[in-house]
Amino acid sequence: MLAVSFLLLLPLLLSLVGRADYMSLITSANVYAAVAIPLAWQMTGIGRMNFGPQFFMGLGGFAAGLLSIHLGWGPWQTLGVVILFSASVGLLLSPLTTLAQGLYFSLITLILPLMLLELTMVFTTLLGGEVGLSGIKPLFEFGSIHVEQIVSCYFSLLMMLIFLYIVDKTMRSRIGLFAAAINDEENVAEACGLNIKFWKMLCFVITSTMVGIAGWFLAHNDGVFAGSTVLPLTFMIKILLVVIIGGRGELYGCIVGAYFVAVLEKVLVLLGAVNYILFPLVLLILLFTLKEGLYGLYRQHKYREYYPTMRVRKR
Amino acid sequence: MLLKIDNVSKSFGGLKAVDDVSFSIEKGEIVGLIGPNGAGKTTLMNLIGGMYQVSSGKIVLDGVEITNLRPNKICRLGIGRTFQIPRPFPDLTALANVCVGVLCGKPRPHMSYMEAMLDASHFLEFVGLFGKRNTLAKDLTLFEMRSLELARALATTPKLILLDEIMAGLNPGESRQAIDLVRRMIDEYHVTILWIEHIMKVIMEATQRVVVLQYGQKIASGTPKEVVNDPKIIEAYLGEKIA
Repeated sequence: MLAVSFLLLLPLLLSLVGRADYMSLITSANVYAAVAIPLAWQMTGIGRMNFGPQFFMGLGGFAAGLLSIHLGWGPWQTLGVVILFSASVGLLLSPLTTLAQGLYFSLITLILPLMLLELTMVFTTLLGGEVGLSGIKPLFEFGSIHVEQIVSCYFSLLMMLIFLYIVDKTMRSRIGLFAAAINDEENVAEACGLNIKFWKMLCFVITSTMVGIAGWFLAHNDGVFAGSTVLPLTFMIKILLVVIIGGRGELYGCIVGAYFVAVLEKVLVLLGAVNYILFPLVLLILLFTLKEGLYGLYRQHKYREYYPTMRVRKR
Repeated sequence: MLLKIDNVSKSFGGLKAVDDVSFSIEKGEIVGLIGPNGAGKTTLMNLIGGMYQVSSGKIVLDGVEITNLRPNKICRLGIGRTFQIPRPFPDLTALANVCVGVLCGKPRPHMSYMEAMLDASHFLEFVGLFGKRNTLAKDLTLFEMRSLELARALATTPKLILLDEIMAGLNPGESRQAIDLVRRMIDEYHVTILWIEHIMKVIMEATQRVVVLQYGQKIASGTPKEVVNDPKIIEAYLGEKIA
């Protein structure tokens, strides 16, 4: 509750002290967390590492952008379509969770966003190429950029908290137990009567839809959406680092990791070109020194409940 | 007849791990499955449990053909199992491990998560692990892991339990406890058992009938006394000279 209160007050405090330029930092952190939280569930629920979560962000963003530009739809009209579209593509791709053995799932998910990125470069008229789509209807129109920034910031926080609530409730229910069993010993879980195919597919569809919604938010929040911003490997690395530095798939740790990565990014940019070396270096040091991520520092003093092991499966 | 294995074979490429094996198990029976290392006992168990696909033949459980069904469907039809090397869910607590069995075994659509936890507690208490219910499975001893697997298998409310060398690696005291546990399990839950074991003393005492495999083929079947005195069996284990 204390942490949530802090997150709720932070944008207001920053705008009051005249640091409204940090709103975009907080919004970015919330978006990172909003992608990392369902990703953490997905990695446990299907027992595989997804190296391309930004693929569904791209789908959501482009769907929202194209509907807004060509049909003049507002954000609340495009949201429904984005949810349906992300869920449908998630359902179409969900057999990969059972058919793709071992490392193949991770490799296929690595390639998907890069394929989409290539498509944006090939179909430049439709998808905008390097520049992307512009003129997407904004989420909020209050006539004041300052107010819109604050409201967007709070909206991103709301989106992140809703995702956190849904995933947290799910992980505390029997579905979370099934996800944990699949992550630990998939074959044994099946031998105990668990229909692993169904639960893996359900997990993949729901989490992909959530990530698609994050893409929808980005498109309408920024008014522009370019594949070159969210689809490349650099963005994927940021999200994976949020998950791992936050606490190896720990849900609340994703928020800690997201804010840490966003702040670190901002601080290191001030150092100029050297930040391209420093940023990955700092993150590597943290990966090696904090085995359980930043959230692990808190967990050391708390009774240990389920704490997933991230597995790179050979089979 | 609870389980019928009909001319079941399994090949891994050119290697025939199980070769035309047939036998049946009556309800309430305790059948031992013995044989030297590499005889195909665990492979047969995996075929019954659905973890491997049968190359040829048929497996029928209580009148329902279960050949090549998915393991989760076979479990729901009434087969629970333990593993040769214990395979609990290592990052889950003992209670959560058994809860998986409770929720996923016999279909219980109206059972809440809390009720499942309570049910799981009963099974943990039965195997003597209630005090370790909040311990992570990876932190349990070997005997405790085997007991946990038994509790998890029982939680699926099986008609038939496949025990795969549950005595392996246990000291004499733990072995006695394990045998008592299996006996109590039979008395209380009236399950049928197919039991792979290398310890002949256990087979002699606890089973009513024994099936012997060698090189994937069934070479004998009968009461423990008949089987142990059969020269073919002695030859299989100790060689022609001794037989």
